[in-house]
Amino acid sequence: MELFRDIKKNVDLYLLALPGLLFLVLFAYVPMSGHLLAFKQYRLADGIWGSPWTGLDNFKFFFGGPDWLKVTLNTLFLNGLFIVASLLVSAVMAVLLNEMKNRFFKKMAQSVIFLPYFISWLVVSLMVFAFLNSEDGMLNKAFESFGWSPIPWFQTKEVWPAILTFIYVWKFAGYYSIIFLAAITGISSEYYEAAQIDGATRFKQIIYITLPLIRPVAIVLALLGVGRIFYGDFGMIYGIIGDNGILFPTTDVIDTYSFRALRQLGNFSMSAAVILYQSVMGLICILLFNGLIRKVDKDSSLF
Amino acid sequence: MKKMLAISMTLLMGTSLITGCSKTDSRPEGSKSAQEQLDQVTLKIMIPGDRPKDFDAVIAEAEKRLAPTLNVKLNVVFVPWSDLAQKTQVTLASGEAVDLVFDAPWLHLNQMVAANYYAPLDDLLKQYGPDILKARSEQLWEANKYNGQIMAIPLSNAYLAGHVYYVRKDLREKLGVAPIKTYDDLIKFAEQVKEKVPDISPIISYKAVTDWTNFRTFFDYDSHLNETAIGVNGVLYLKDNDGKVHNMFEEMDSTVWKWITDARYLYQNKLMYQDVMSVKDQMEVFKSGKAAIINAADFGVKTDVANALKKNVPGAEVEAVTFFKLEKEANLSSFQAWNFIALSQVSKNKERAIQFLNWTQQKDNYDLLAYGIKGTNWEPIGENQYKVLNDGYAWFPYAWIWNPTLDRYDQGLGEEAQALNQFVADADNFTPSKLTGFTFDSAPVANEIAQLNTLRDKYMDAIYLGIVDPETYWNKYKSEASSAAKKIQVEMQKQIDAFLASKN
Repeated sequence: MELFRDIKKNVDLYLLALPGLLFLVLFAYVPMSGHLLAFKQYRLADGIWGSPWTGLDNFKFFFGGPDWLKVTLNTLFLNGLFIVASLLVSAVMAVLLNEMKNRFFKKMAQSVIFLPYFISWLVVSLMVFAFLNSEDGMLNKAFESFGWSPIPWFQTKEVWPAILTFIYVWKFAGYYSIIFLAAITGISSEYYEAAQIDGATRFKQIIYITLPLIRPVAIVLALLGVGRIFYGDFGMIYGIIGDNGILFPTTDVIDTYSFRALRQLGNFSMSAAVILYQSVMGLICILLFNGLIRKVDKDSSLF
Repeated sequence: MKKMLAISMTLLMGTSLITGCSKTDSRPEGSKSAQEQLDQVTLKIMIPGDRPKDFDAVIAEAEKRLAPTLNVKLNVVFVPWSDLAQKTQVTLASGEAVDLVFDAPWLHLNQMVAANYYAPLDDLLKQYGPDILKARSEQLWEANKYNGQIMAIPLSNAYLAGHVYYVRKDLREKLGVAPIKTYDDLIKFAEQVKEKVPDISPIISYKAVTDWTNFRTFFDYDSHLNETAIGVNGVLYLKDNDGKVHNMFEEMDSTVWKWITDARYLYQNKLMYQDVMSVKDQMEVFKSGKAAIINAADFGVKTDVANALKKNVPGAEVEAVTFFKLEKEANLSSFQAWNFIALSQVSKNKERAIQFLNWTQQKDNYDLLAYGIKGTNWEPIGENQYKVLNDGYAWFPYAWIWNPTLDRYDQGLGEEAQALNQFVADADNFTPSKLTGFTFDSAPVANEIAQLNTLRDKYMDAIYLGIVDPETYWNKYKSEASSAAKKIQVEMQKQIDAFLASKN
């Protein structure tokens, strides 16, 4: 009842929200019914409703195999590294950019760090290969000229979480730093003026004014990242690692694992089962994380 | 042998020409007027690939030729390879009016046949498709039936795919190595390259089905090792044409193990390109002149490879080396086709669609649709070779009209490849595999296949390309995959036994 009264009072505001709400319903809520497929043996000819129920059969290939725990942990670990590293680096970059006085140089630097965001993963993967391969890779050539022995990167699984994190940060830190920069520009200059009068150095101003004031943005970005923590970045990992089985122990994530399992079978239901697993785990994760933030800082939590 | 082939081919084509003509010319008066009244229909055809530049001109010419008789217009829809499975599936499921559709066992032919999307063709072909039937051998038809019926027309130009090693001829001659005849010669050449041309890798190999070790099954005449119906996985094999599924986890085949240790030797001695697992396009590496040997599909050297290499490394030359035995009945074939064209159940023009396909199986019309406008896109060389004149009409007969009888070969391939190609286009040169016509229903073991697939990608290439210690990795593979492999083996054996029992 209260809702109706509220709508009546703010008709134009609700009208304004209507397209967005419709979009959400159509593209986020309606497709959720597709999760039903996970419990059915889906046959195209019979449709979603006509296909027979199969209980938990579709989950067997994933949970029955020896690797499901490993790939789940890999997904969590890699995404955790990505989120933490990219937020840290981009926050620092935003602060540094903000401190630049020369406008021309500032714009230039901003464009240059933003540029990798537009490079497709396929191109990135070719660049990575050109850098790291052991026949004529740039890095190994450089090692040789220093007199060090070359490292067979593509046969060394331990180094890949670090390499992938580096690539992720290189690609996305510029993008996130723009968001932070926008938050920093929004900070009222009165704070800084007051601090200067009190004799605070630039460094102190950053520590006590800039960073605390962009904390909410950092938390929102982290929460958004955590919501998708069970989804591996397929384009990235498959593009760079491909089918190189030697690197799987440290780089195989849920998405690449199920892709390899199902690419020849074309089985809708089994893929739906994996997606349901990722969604449910993502939901649990975001609830936990949000609860944690509510405890620490109630105002920054999402809900 | 070759002469016989040529004669029988001309005969065949002659008869097809005559029948082709007789259909249009020698009809009784009454039916001729009836024929003139054939309504114009437009056939919608869905095939994979990209629309060639000169496609419109070719179709205009085809429609001109068709107008007086079949009165058919063609609406050919090209579906990008990446969307092929989904788009064709959704089109059929939605009941959209499409007449002819490309499908394949590796796409979703079995499912679509089971779901009744395609019309059975036996009667239609008997009545309207004599040339379609004639262009393909009895073996090809028999092996590609579904429950005893023809559900789709097999498209294939050979009964066994050709496989070769591309070898840098200029290097071989420079190093004074004699022409390569055996696998040992090949490795000796690789060692010479390693020693005397240190800046290039002697060998690079593809992965999965055609990784260095699996590739050797193509030339295994002792036990006829072959992959099973679910593809390669390094574990389940067919052997000796005995109708059994062999499980390497239970009993390691000594030949396969020797191949694996050979591969390990190549890798450890740096004869194999060290990053072979991660390189995106192996042929690119060969084309850029960074490797001296690569394994490749089809007989002869592909023109684009030879040209690209020559451009990158002046003076470089490629030769194709194969250990294929050109010997009657030495090779097994299951006569299985990999591409098909099917007639949709919802088509309103079933007769006309088959009549059209029949029309394409006549020499002149086949030439038009397969190679483009004569004199502009290509020119004929003899009866069964051709020369490409420009790139306006990319080659794609395999998507709708391919057959072993009318197909021409690129003259750039050379004499030897030509002979090999003609040999594999004759069904009678092959010993039939015991499993000819067997199709595997994977549904009962879908979970196990999905599991085995992921483990295969984790272990097989690493072992088969020699990158890891074979013993330890094989044991790891075995401990993780043996239960799934066993279940698949048992199920497949069950289906094979039932199939063999029904054949007798």
